[in-house]
Amino acid sequence: MVPLSDLLIWSLAGVLFGALISWIPGFHIFNIMALLVAVFGVGELMPVQAFPFFAIGAIVAYAYVSAISSVYFSVADESAVFLLFPTQRYLLLGRGHEAVLLYLIGAVAGTLFLVLGALFIFPRVLPPIYQATSPYITYFLVAIVVFMFMSEWPKEGDRGRTPAERLWLAWRQILGGILVFFLSGLLGFIVMNTNLLPTTSAYTRLTPMFIGFFGMSWVILNILSNPPMLEQVPDDRVESSLYNTLKASFGGALGGTIAAVYPIITGGMGALIAGHMTSQRGDDAFIISQGVNRVIYYVGAFTLLFLPQLRLTRGAAAWLVSSIYTPKSYAEYLAAIGVILLSAGISFLFTYYLSRFLARSFNVVHIKKLSYVVAVTLVVISYLLTGPMGLAVLFVSTAIGMMAAAFNTRRSYCLGGLILPVLISMTGHTGYFMSLLGLG
Amino acid sequence: MRGFTHYISGLAAATFFAALVGDLRLGILIPVIAAAAAYFPDFVDFKFGKFLARRDYEIDPAPWDEKKHYAPKLVRVSELSEENRYQFFAIEGKVEEILARGSGKVSYRVLREDGSEETVTESYNSIIFTLNDGTGKITVEAFGDDYEFFEEEFGKIEEGKKLLVFGYVDVEEDCSLKLVVSDAPHPQGIADTIARAIEEAYREGERIVKIHNIRLPGDVYRRFWVHLDPPKREVRVEMGPIVTPGGVAIGGDVPEYRKYGIAKVGVPFIKTYPKPTRIDSFSGPEIAFRRAEFKGKTVVKDRFLPWHHGFSHSLTMGMIIGLVVFAFFKLIGYEHATELALASMIGQWLHVFEDQLGFMGSNLLPPITKDVVPGFKLGESGSGLTNFSTAWLMIAFMIWNFNRFTDPRPIPISDAKLLLLLAWPSIIGFGIAIVKSFRLRREISELMDYYTNLEAFEELEEVGGI
Repeated sequence: MVPLSDLLIWSLAGVLFGALISWIPGFHIFNIMALLVAVFGVGELMPVQAFPFFAIGAIVAYAYVSAISSVYFSVADESAVFLLFPTQRYLLLGRGHEAVLLYLIGAVAGTLFLVLGALFIFPRVLPPIYQATSPYITYFLVAIVVFMFMSEWPKEGDRGRTPAERLWLAWRQILGGILVFFLSGLLGFIVMNTNLLPTTSAYTRLTPMFIGFFGMSWVILNILSNPPMLEQVPDDRVESSLYNTLKASFGGALGGTIAAVYPIITGGMGALIAGHMTSQRGDDAFIISQGVNRVIYYVGAFTLLFLPQLRLTRGAAAWLVSSIYTPKSYAEYLAAIGVILLSAGISFLFTYYLSRFLARSFNVVHIKKLSYVVAVTLVVISYLLTGPMGLAVLFVSTAIGMMAAAFNTRRSYCLGGLILPVLISMTGHTGYFMSLLGLG
Repeated sequence: MRGFTHYISGLAAATFFAALVGDLRLGILIPVIAAAAAYFPDFVDFKFGKFLARRDYEIDPAPWDEKKHYAPKLVRVSELSEENRYQFFAIEGKVEEILARGSGKVSYRVLREDGSEETVTESYNSIIFTLNDGTGKITVEAFGDDYEFFEEEFGKIEEGKKLLVFGYVDVEEDCSLKLVVSDAPHPQGIADTIARAIEEAYREGERIVKIHNIRLPGDVYRRFWVHLDPPKREVRVEMGPIVTPGGVAIGGDVPEYRKYGIAKVGVPFIKTYPKPTRIDSFSGPEIAFRRAEFKGKTVVKDRFLPWHHGFSHSLTMGMIIGLVVFAFFKLIGYEHATELALASMIGQWLHVFEDQLGFMGSNLLPPITKDVVPGFKLGESGSGLTNFSTAWLMIAFMIWNFNRFTDPRPIPISDAKLLLLLAWPSIIGFGIAIVKSFRLRREISELMDYYTNLEAFEELEEVGGI
């Protein structure tokens, strides 16, 4: 383990790095970390044992500061997008700062849950539960996918003139979701199982696909919808209740933990399950639970890499870090928990002041201009990580991400890009599908 | 219960069969069928039944703009008729003639929270003008609070000025149409239609009413309540604030003079669900009004979402699902078709049982039972406590079953102790829910006494009431 002073310096460097890039729409800490490793490498400027602590600082910062991009830079005009996220609605009502504060309440609650859990519960409870349930992960995964399809709530159909028209309008959306899932799954299968992308991009081969699904499609929607830049209220005021906060924190923690522990199950899927389990309702509760969920999902998943008895590798960052250095001692585990607290404090203050600043100056630079800059940057990142074919993948995945919006269906169906190929692989059918597609 | 609670019950049901757990360990994922079977009743109802169900009356207080999918719909004057009375629309045209500007006093009735009525008189400013959109002309009227808003929005109104105004359509005594400036439909139209449906159901047997919600720009909704008051023989509709899909009110309360719509009903009816129907986000409800015998009298009963909790939510359906699953998987040669069929049937039955804990109840064993058996009223379907307790219990069962069907056991403690360690949050949750349900049942019982008080009908008739 590196000396404590070095550990602190590299953790703070991680927080600074994470904070500086996480507010930019479409940027994901995993992609940027991969880019950092690809361009600069680890071991020359930074000791390899310090890399996990640099990473944890950056991930904590991302879990906090990314609230800024999802609240302020994901503004959609209501005529372009049928359903808005609660944070988007807050922004359209001039209450963007309030949405960030609600998120921060959740993020702090998530940090406390995580730290207390990591100290007192995870080391005792997680290993036996994980051992008992891990052989059935495919069952849970396929169950969640089936539930996603079965539970899709038809947003249209009520106003059709005849029963047949109503049924078609409702099922158009459901079928659209299934199409998005399988198209993204097909793309994911090709990206994962062929040499479409160069072998030098082993750790980043999924990056352009995810940038397209969730980053680029979002940025392009911002450009197309040309949203109004409304005056924002920078007051430190939130409308919620203690009951809602506690209930949302509990639900968020539950969803975040499920997503952190089990592979492939993402934060959004965990939130879907926990939201149903705890019967959540209310925009304030939703945003708070998102704060809890994202901290536990991103930071908690990465922390499992440090847990000596379990040492699970969860998430792209953990895979990237573990390829360079895996923490081994309980001292490193405890140090990681300390770094989480320190980083959370700094990230909280950074997010809070940045939100106040943005609320005051929200309409100075139009989001459309910012989105053009981000779009170009995302293309450059994809090219640097995966070459010209990465750009082709980026183009296709962006189109699929935008299809989800066009069909008015869940954006999370794009996770088919990860889920479907993994399911095929877990059930031992990769070879069969390769020959079915004429690829092998 | 929420969908996932049912679904996870089916997942758990499959894990009680060692053979199916063995298959899961081998990567055979067919047992997920049991979870799909457990969710099947809601899937059928909400993906098919809801859209195929008959609608005798369709109440759309604020029709959607077909392109933007929210209200108010931009219409032409020539498209409007008396049938659009009280509906919320937008019209774009030129001010042709200003008919009157003035002030006066308006009186209207206000319903207090204790149920009493009060007449309020207020001063108002107003303007009346004709608007021509090229297809015809319509009188536009703005008064009271709406006039203030109107003036703020458009400034001084002069002939020839181009405007996009929104409001509800009303009909003058001479049958001509006018647009009353407002930010919501008038609730009277909803109340009138429901009252008419109840009266027709009394004569004809059944009427099903679909009530659409009011979606406004920005993915927000105008909330309103439909309150059936049998002893007073009234349908009361109250326009509420604008809310987000998450149910948070963000203002936009309507003025008192267009907040309530009250329609008298000429026939006896009773209410079977003890709360007013609230309509806001997602979609509006369907209510069936059916003629029925109650305490020896002919009345009209309401049935919320008549396409829901029918045959799909019966134990009979569970048996059919079991048979179909068995036949299909036996046919394709699945070795554990019997266990899978049983798990699927149990999963569906768990759904029926879990819903029976709430209010609506289900027709449990058709064709032997003909009508819905009332629920146990342990908690509402959306209760976080009962949903979490049930879902957690199912997770506990799954871990417990995985452990006991694995050799050597990953968690080497006794079955009873492990189950207790895993299930204690559910035991506490159900305990709290049961304690809370006593108070809930008492409150509901008092409300139901009121809603089914036939003596109140007779009293009204004796004093020459309705």
